Amino acid sequence: MNKWFKSGNPWIWMTAGAVSISLVAVIGLLLLIAARGLVYFWPSPVLEMEVHQFGKNQTVIGELYETELVPIERLQASGANLEGLDGDFVERFLIKTGNREYVDLDFRWLTENEILSKTRPENIAVVERRTNGNFYGYVEGIVKGGETIDASLDTDHATLYELLERSNDIIEQADSLQRSDIGSINYSLERLRLKQRKYEMAEELTAERLAGIEAEEEQLHQDYLVLEKQLFAYRDDARRDQLIIRDMRGELVTIPMDNVLDVFFPNEMNWFDKVGHWVHQATKFIVSEPREANTEGGVFPAIFGTVFMVMLMAVIVTPLGVVAAIYLHEYAGNNSLTRLIRIAVINLAGVPSIVYGVFGLGFFVYMLGGSIDSLFYQESLPTPTFGSPGVIWAALTLAILTLPVVIVSTEEGLSRIPSAVRQGSLALGATKAETLWRIVIPMASPAIMTGLILAVARAAGEVAPLMLVGVVKLAPTLPLDGNFPFIHLERKFMHLGFHIYDVGFQSPNVEAARPLVYATAFLLVTVIIGLNLAAIQIRNRLREKFKTLDQ
Amino acid sequence: MISLNTENSRDTKLDLANLTAEQTALEVKNLDLYYGSKQALFDVSMKIPKGQVTAFIGPSGCGKSTLLRCINRMNDLVDICKISGEIMLHGQNIYDKSVDVAALRRNVGMVFQRPNPFPKSIYENVVYGLRLQGIKDRRVLDEAVERSLRGAALWEEVKDRLHENAFGLSGGQQQRLVIARAIAIEPEVLLLDEPTSALDPISTLTIEELINDLKSRYTVVIVTHNMQQAARVSDQTAFMYMGDMVEYADTNTLFTTPAKKQTEDYITGRYG
Repeated sequence: MNKWFKSGNPWIWMTAGAVSISLVAVIGLLLLIAARGLVYFWPSPVLEMEVHQFGKNQTVIGELYETELVPIERLQASGANLEGLDGDFVERFLIKTGNREYVDLDFRWLTENEILSKTRPENIAVVERRTNGNFYGYVEGIVKGGETIDASLDTDHATLYELLERSNDIIEQADSLQRSDIGSINYSLERLRLKQRKYEMAEELTAERLAGIEAEEEQLHQDYLVLEKQLFAYRDDARRDQLIIRDMRGELVTIPMDNVLDVFFPNEMNWFDKVGHWVHQATKFIVSEPREANTEGGVFPAIFGTVFMVMLMAVIVTPLGVVAAIYLHEYAGNNSLTRLIRIAVINLAGVPSIVYGVFGLGFFVYMLGGSIDSLFYQESLPTPTFGSPGVIWAALTLAILTLPVVIVSTEEGLSRIPSAVRQGSLALGATKAETLWRIVIPMASPAIMTGLILAVARAAGEVAPLMLVGVVKLAPTLPLDGNFPFIHLERKFMHLGFHIYDVGFQSPNVEAARPLVYATAFLLVTVIIGLNLAAIQIRNRLREKFKTLDQ
Repeated sequence: MISLNTENSRDTKLDLANLTAEQTALEVKNLDLYYGSKQALFDVSMKIPKGQVTAFIGPSGCGKSTLLRCINRMNDLVDICKISGEIMLHGQNIYDKSVDVAALRRNVGMVFQRPNPFPKSIYENVVYGLRLQGIKDRRVLDEAVERSLRGAALWEEVKDRLHENAFGLSGGQQQRLVIARAIAIEPEVLLLDEPTSALDPISTLTIEELINDLKSRYTVVIVTHNMQQAARVSDQTAFMYMGDMVEYADTNTLFTTPAKKQTEDYITGRYG
């Protein structure tokens, strides 16, 4: 035994064990969020059930959302109907019944004894709606331009999909009209108002200028009226057709086509259809915008906000960190003050991120932003422009947060460059600065990239400080759009990390939100991995390019 | 017995102590050098003749490399290094405050012990010094590359792969590339700090032949601890020991009839 200890084997086992635990933890985490998140887009079968609950029989149509085993005592304690049950555990099903405006809850728990019969009729439709969530039922009729078509004549759903596509196309046109044309008119009007206010404040508002502004305003207003008319025409046109659906109460419900986003028949689908549907739904999740207080729809603005903010941060932190590291390593004397500064910089990495958030709010948003507002945007006060949280402040705050990482790894890289190469450059008549620019920094660039990779990894996952300096639940506009100056750094933005928090903990509809939490988390991890892989790719190229002697 | 290079123009022996200003490339006057409190060079004085090869020999730690590095002020990089005395180039003390160190180094090129090409293409390595001077004309650069690489006897081997990374070259080729890089900016003096110590015998031979060619255009100062090499390539040899310039004479004399006992002991291999 003693010999076994001396051989070092236990030590090796211990180290290998530590590695395995880390590996299992990472892979387990990824698998869990991937499985829970990705399954959300898979079309689950819709069941029609005869149910005896709360003393009456009724029909329930809905998706099977979750199955769990519950100890019977717990149900007893809650006073549930336990008739016909034996054993210790009861199977309990969570059914998503949708039809939010006609039933109390769009989710419902059923224990196994409450289900009298269960069928999977082929022709049950799931209607994804723009408002009020999903609707489940049988399509009975389609109203096309006032004329009702019996759904039984439309077995391959061709008419249904044709009309659906039509209304979606029109709505898309209306949206783009509202967003780009009407949006830019509003933007111009706001700028005109600010221009007028600016003149007023400078007391330079001559009658001539006022007339000019008013004329422009009038013109814009006329344009607006034309566009508005067009928009209303689009909307009316989109509302032309309706779907008539029989819901689980047996009543016919008319759903206007402009409220229908998508219709599908999960029970009719074969495996390939389901894969196609999964891809379609996953894509929709990525490219569309959230609806219904973030509990439905996609996360595109959040993806965009995350990536945009992280890139902005990278653009800020890299030069700052590299320059600071160069000073510390190349120019500062090697004395106790430098060492103190170095230790302070390293320790900055250990400050809790919320502290940076508070600092960002106090310094960047209120002081810096407030000063910018009073200097350059006085005309729009008291409405703040830069003086309220925004993407630029978030990026700056995170840049400060990740600065130590970049400084430390850049310094590391600088110290690894062989002095022979530096001397070679100096011996050819280069000054120290020239040597730095032409030889040392290019050679240290892989290390700088390493710093950037770590910085991006940390910044993309940070949520707490962002809540103070720029992230919101729902941002009406992206920080990038077609209105001059195109990049709007003062705007608030959405972020995947905050989106997870918001959907998971602030959502009015917990059951609907849960899979979204996993899906968003998986997406956030994917985005971070994607950003990192891109940076690693660049670093490997640089490494290949600047291979040095000793490697 | 050490074989001597007899084709050199040693028949017209220079009077090293009394070189005329015209014959002198460099003059070292009463040079003392300290690393912190430790003195590394003691009152070194010598005149290095123009257009010839001067070798510094001596045991490890004798200060020969230190002396060499004084000539283009590479010792400035060492914080604790202090120098007194003068090194005259064109009648000006290179340690004078008014001297532009970068300009001095353009005039006094240096090749180090280990090949130290930059992580760039062969072409970019050679034109590095020229680019520093702001030369952008492609034709000028192309010409300089060919001339320098021919001058360093490397042209034939690399002319088809000028734009490949310099690290793809062998050690000996890298060292010649470094020499080409140094002569691309047309220095007057070329300092070689044990240029062959990291190379195999065949590469060493190529470099030695190259040194022979170089002296027609440049004043070459070489540090070596290989006595045969000093005997083969140099016209003058200085023997240094413990920071002192023990003996400085033309190579033939120094190796056949050394004036000092210490020199004789060293070259006959009794120590060092």
